[in-house]
Amino acid sequence: MRNKLILILFISFSIFLPSCEKEYFNPSAAGEAQVVSSVDGLIALANGLQFTYSVGRLSPVYNTITASGFSTGELAILNAGNASENFLSLGGTFVDGGNSIVSALWEQNHLVKANAEILLKNATNFGDPSFQSAAIAYGSIYKALSLGNLASFFQQAPIQVVSNASFQTREALLAEAITTLNNAKSKVTATAPSAAFLNKTVGGLDVLNTINALLARYSLMSGKWDDALSAANTVNLKAKSTFRYDDIARNPIFDVALSNVNVFQPISANLGLKGDLIPSADDKRVLFYLKSKTPSATGIFSGTGFFASNKTEIPVFLPGEIMLIKAEAFARKNQLSDAKIELDKVLTKKAGDDIYGLGAELAPYNGTLTQEALLKEIYRNRSIELFMSGLKLEDSRRFVRPGPGTAGAERTRNFYPYPNNERDNNPNTPADPAI
Amino acid sequence: MLKNSLITVIMLFIQLALPASLVAQDKINLVLKGQVLDAQNNPLIGVTLALSDSRSGAVTDLDGSYTLNVSVLPGTYTLQASYVGYKSATADIQITADKNLMTQNFTLFEDALDLDEIVVTGSTLKSSRRQLGNAISSVSADELSKTGSDNLISSLQGKVPGAQITQTSGDPAGGLNIRIRGVNSIRGNSDPLYVIDGVIVSNTTNNVSQVSVSAGAADLGTNRLADINPKDIESINIISGAAAAAVYGSRASNGVVVITTKRGSIGKPEITFGTSVNVNQLRKKLAITTYGKQFGSVAQRLHIINPFTGGPTVTTNGRNLPTALVDVTRYDYQDQVFGDAMGTDNYLSMSGGKDNTKYYASLSYMTNGGIVKNTDFTRYGLRLNLDQGIKDWMKISFGLQYNNSFSNEKPNGNSFYSPVNAINITNNIYDITKRDANGNLQAVEPTRVNPLSVIEDFDITQEVNRAISNLTFTFFPLKGLTIDYVLGADVYSQTGKTFIPAYPYPGVNVLYFANGYAANVTSNFRLFNNDINATYQKDITSSISSTTALGFNYQYSRADRLFSAGENLLPSISTINGSSAVVSNYGLDQYAISGYFLQQTFGVSNKLFLTLAGRVDGSTKFALDQRNQFYPKFGLSYVLSETNFWKNSPLKGINSFKLRSSWGESGGLNAIGSYDRFYQFSPVVNQGRQTFIPSSQLANSSIRPERTRSFEVGADASFFENKVSLLATYYRNNVFDLVVNRLIAPTEGGRSIVDNVGELENRGVEIALGVNIAQKKDFNWDVNFIYSRNRGKVISAGSPLVAINTATGAPIFLVQGEAPSIFFGTFYAKNADGTLLLDARGLPQPEKGTALPFKAGSDIPAGSYVYAGTIYTPKRDASGQPTGTALRKIIGDPNPDFMASFGSSVRYKRLNFSFLLDGVFGVDVFNADRRTRQGVGIGDYAEQEMKGELVRGYVWAIYPIEEWRVDPGQFVKIREVSLSYNLPSPLKGISDLNVALIGRNLFSFDQYDGFDPETNAGGNSDLFRGVDFGNVPIPRTFQLSLTAKF
Repeated sequence: MRNKLILILFISFSIFLPSCEKEYFNPSAAGEAQVVSSVDGLIALANGLQFTYSVGRLSPVYNTITASGFSTGELAILNAGNASENFLSLGGTFVDGGNSIVSALWEQNHLVKANAEILLKNATNFGDPSFQSAAIAYGSIYKALSLGNLASFFQQAPIQVVSNASFQTREALLAEAITTLNNAKSKVTATAPSAAFLNKTVGGLDVLNTINALLARYSLMSGKWDDALSAANTVNLKAKSTFRYDDIARNPIFDVALSNVNVFQPISANLGLKGDLIPSADDKRVLFYLKSKTPSATGIFSGTGFFASNKTEIPVFLPGEIMLIKAEAFARKNQLSDAKIELDKVLTKKAGDDIYGLGAELAPYNGTLTQEALLKEIYRNRSIELFMSGLKLEDSRRFVRPGPGTAGAERTRNFYPYPNNERDNNPNTPADPAI
Repeated sequence: MLKNSLITVIMLFIQLALPASLVAQDKINLVLKGQVLDAQNNPLIGVTLALSDSRSGAVTDLDGSYTLNVSVLPGTYTLQASYVGYKSATADIQITADKNLMTQNFTLFEDALDLDEIVVTGSTLKSSRRQLGNAISSVSADELSKTGSDNLISSLQGKVPGAQITQTSGDPAGGLNIRIRGVNSIRGNSDPLYVIDGVIVSNTTNNVSQVSVSAGAADLGTNRLADINPKDIESINIISGAAAAAVYGSRASNGVVVITTKRGSIGKPEITFGTSVNVNQLRKKLAITTYGKQFGSVAQRLHIINPFTGGPTVTTNGRNLPTALVDVTRYDYQDQVFGDAMGTDNYLSMSGGKDNTKYYASLSYMTNGGIVKNTDFTRYGLRLNLDQGIKDWMKISFGLQYNNSFSNEKPNGNSFYSPVNAINITNNIYDITKRDANGNLQAVEPTRVNPLSVIEDFDITQEVNRAISNLTFTFFPLKGLTIDYVLGADVYSQTGKTFIPAYPYPGVNVLYFANGYAANVTSNFRLFNNDINATYQKDITSSISSTTALGFNYQYSRADRLFSAGENLLPSISTINGSSAVVSNYGLDQYAISGYFLQQTFGVSNKLFLTLAGRVDGSTKFALDQRNQFYPKFGLSYVLSETNFWKNSPLKGINSFKLRSSWGESGGLNAIGSYDRFYQFSPVVNQGRQTFIPSSQLANSSIRPERTRSFEVGADASFFENKVSLLATYYRNNVFDLVVNRLIAPTEGGRSIVDNVGELENRGVEIALGVNIAQKKDFNWDVNFIYSRNRGKVISAGSPLVAINTATGAPIFLVQGEAPSIFFGTFYAKNADGTLLLDARGLPQPEKGTALPFKAGSDIPAGSYVYAGTIYTPKRDASGQPTGTALRKIIGDPNPDFMASFGSSVRYKRLNFSFLLDGVFGVDVFNADRRTRQGVGIGDYAEQEMKGELVRGYVWAIYPIEEWRVDPGQFVKIREVSLSYNLPSPLKGISDLNVALIGRNLFSFDQYDGFDPETNAGGNSDLFRGVDFGNVPIPRTFQLSLTAKF
């Protein structure tokens, strides 16, 4: 009796004991297969691209503006304890593969690109062509932005998302960005992006205008003046396209830097420009970007503009950039009077006429009508109009401004070294650029 | 699969065993009586008597007498008398129907090695020490009563060979870090597994109250063994090697701490009441200057190191530093932050038993104040242990603990607004006690926080409600066979609240929550374990005995956490409800482990023991194809002193001598996240829109546990008529398949992957020496000495050089081929003769040169050195000064060379005196606060610069030299001093009254330039260690206690 009871107890205990074949899943996260199997999952992924790209100290928005700003003398470091920012401001060999801004610039752009590929790969999972159009547009814009950023700061980078990826030239990266955007453009023009999709995104992006503006930007960077012109001509200058923020997903430049006096602020009342590039005393754009032309008692200038609060939107592109792209393309093609027309549009633009309230309100260009003089004035205007946009390192190279190590150097690096986490884990990483 | 095969095995086992006891016979009721004496014929009180094959047991009384009522079938039984510190004695008892009263006396002989003491080696498995191939250290209730600490883990400091126990914060709810035989994991913690009466309990540091701080790899907060009342504990066994691998498999690699609580014994109820009061004090103040000068101007922030315009300057390291002094008034904010604090501890217990029922019940209330004003820790709780014999073949034990722990806290380091950091980071020229007409505190240095705001206005609390319960069925189906079924549950909830009100003055850095911050965090934790263990003992021949243990266990852990925090608070609202921007998230972590084991021990003539064991287990944390992990184990023990060879040789002067060795494998799963095998897309809060972010950590579909292979060999010996005992152990643990969050090339589409790519090694020696100098009726004197050393080495960590993220500027790295978590940073340039290489102004400077990739096997030129694939070569320019980039090398090591403790206990008549000295030697601390104080201009170097005793610019010159911040962390502390007096029957009804005066951490012998080298800003982290950054110092404690027995 006793032993039977024990036996029964034992067997019943054993039955109650679960085994270890079970899988526990994280209810607060989802797997890739789950995410891409629903329309809402893909829209959430599109919002994720926007978040990774534009929010936080690791984001490409923060790091392109910071890196370009320090390497081209737009920004002043306020506390040398921010080591990576400090080394970027010193430039040259102080910028090494361990620099956290350079690493984040590399890493986050590659992550955005890889995540955009997930969206692009799965955009056709659902039959609705307007949904496909929207998903492809979002995936393409972020893929193109990340490729364009990589091409702006590095000589080479992989395009494929694989282990031990092989590197392509920056020209190939730009070509891939343009191909991606052209494909998206044909989808979007064939079928308008689904309003249901767009209404569920954070918004701010005018899809077709953004595609056209980026096509113009990357064509210009590739030296394809005609392509840049034709793309720029299709951009509606009255439509905003911005990254949006709130008190939680904060404007990263304001959050990290301009809200305090501990990281960086604009370097001077001249926005860091020197000699004949110094903005005119009447140029209204300076006080768009600076709170005051007079420094504080401790010599600090405070920036504002697109970084005025947690919630300030940061434009993806400015109307002024499109005008200056046209001006530059004409100038490069030696159509100097056409170039002057576009340049004058920027110089004379009234703040009230600009969708962002940015206007120089100056007289038209009255310098010599040579290609050299016009290009210099275009560069000067890009430096002011597109202050702290992350584009200046690319501009400084394209306009062949004095490079590091030369007299009157206007930038402290040409390209950045490849980050250690890539070099340590990918044998195909090329040698670092000398400077 | 696993479950079914187990059921089959168990059924076979039971059926094989069944026929043996099917004969029905009548039972005999019998009274056994006797007396137990020691070698000097003194009665021994509290000796346990147990009859084999019966549930009957008894304990001797004040005269050493016992009475044992038994009801058994006729036959031959063994009666065993056992007592801690003595060799057990047995006698054969022939029970026949014609006798109902028998007398059996015993004489017990001392055994300094406690070879016959029965120790719990995990779950319900027990073994005598003589059988064990492992070192096992024990701490008794008596030792726990003299520590002056209310925390179980800190009570173990200085008492366990091989364990480094660090109190990481002096906060009354602060953490304690325990590492047995070094660090065994990189990604997970090296905290051992804790088992109380068979229940696996959590010692997790789940931070719900220190959430405003982001502190890198730090592990902040209270580890939850703080909920255990040490007064409920009967004994603690610490099993460091592979001994527990059979029962705990994938959880055993960090060692197992087996805790047994007090239980009742048959007899009249015994009531114990204890009360104590204690005072905590700041043991040592920091050197803060009150020299009434400042460089530059009164408004000059960081006046020692910041550039200046508007006065005379000298250029150092590119900065124009002011040289003229102005007058200021300086204060010492330590006076406002610290204060003496009181604590009380009240405790009532009742125990006893009758017939088949034994009980123990206790009630306690403890509150302890912190030396940082407005911090405290309160714990109240109850425990009930019940043992009920149901039938003579079945027994049920039940245990329940409930407690509530509540703490008032302040930010604990790692931020500039913790009370201690506020002292270090704020220029002390402001009278922080000054208030405006409304009673509001005033601003101090711009961007900083008035230290008194932290003390008076921050409100940070944590509350825990916890129940630990166990139900254990024990069956004795037939002679020699015991089957236990243990059901254990550890369940607790935590509520953390943080409220940082908006400061009543402007200018505070937004990062310190200028507009207020509130966080509300709740967490629920539960851990279940089910163990079935069957043990079968049989003498195969008269000299060969066999013990077989077979078991199955299942553990399930579930923790969820709801976190909400927000800034920009509405006035007079102290919760997240007042915030305009709340961030919330919910996390659920769950995993299970199940496995079965078989352990076989053969004993030859009770002298030679061989143990073989194997376990198969798997956890839901592992990849699906990795859920059959096999862990083998061997143990060998040989009591040489009981052989005839020994007894007839000159070696017989050594009274007892045991050789032991073991080899085994165990697993570690702390390093593996419950969901590391998946590629996860996580939601984020994004402007009211649904948003998924793909993880930057890619999936590892073949993740498996870390595997520790431990080998140890040791000897236990006693000499000089058992007056001296010596235990020595050498061990070597290799951790393979070490789990690392390995960085990958970002071009792969991620940042890292959790992978089994590393390897660690720990080797060491443990020695424990005990001497009984005198043992007389009125005078007893014992001395104990413990020495342990461990050498840890990172053989591989996935990358040659892994930086550990900290918020302190401490350059902590894992460097391949070096000890874990060393400080790797910039250092002083020196001349050939070892003196500092000074610049033209006489200032020290960092070493510079080149750092280039190094190909393994190449020659290393003289003067160069190599770490982790990089060759560093110091360079000098034409004028002999360092040139190039700043070089790094190992500048400090937070792993001690060795640890040692020395304790003694003297009893004269009824007066007891004991003390414990505890030391950690050859260890470094990264003293982050020291540089802060000098840069702010309130430290001793700053004072010397102002007085002209140091060259102006000295602090700024050595500011980038990390070696400057490495301080010797070696210390010897007067850990415990206790003086007590026992009054027998002072009043009618009181059988025993004990009065004790206890001191804890009274003094520290060290050369540390800070409060206390025993500290860690990394809290309970095993990688982020030996860093001082605003940590609360450990107080000096005096306690007066009174214990009465009724």
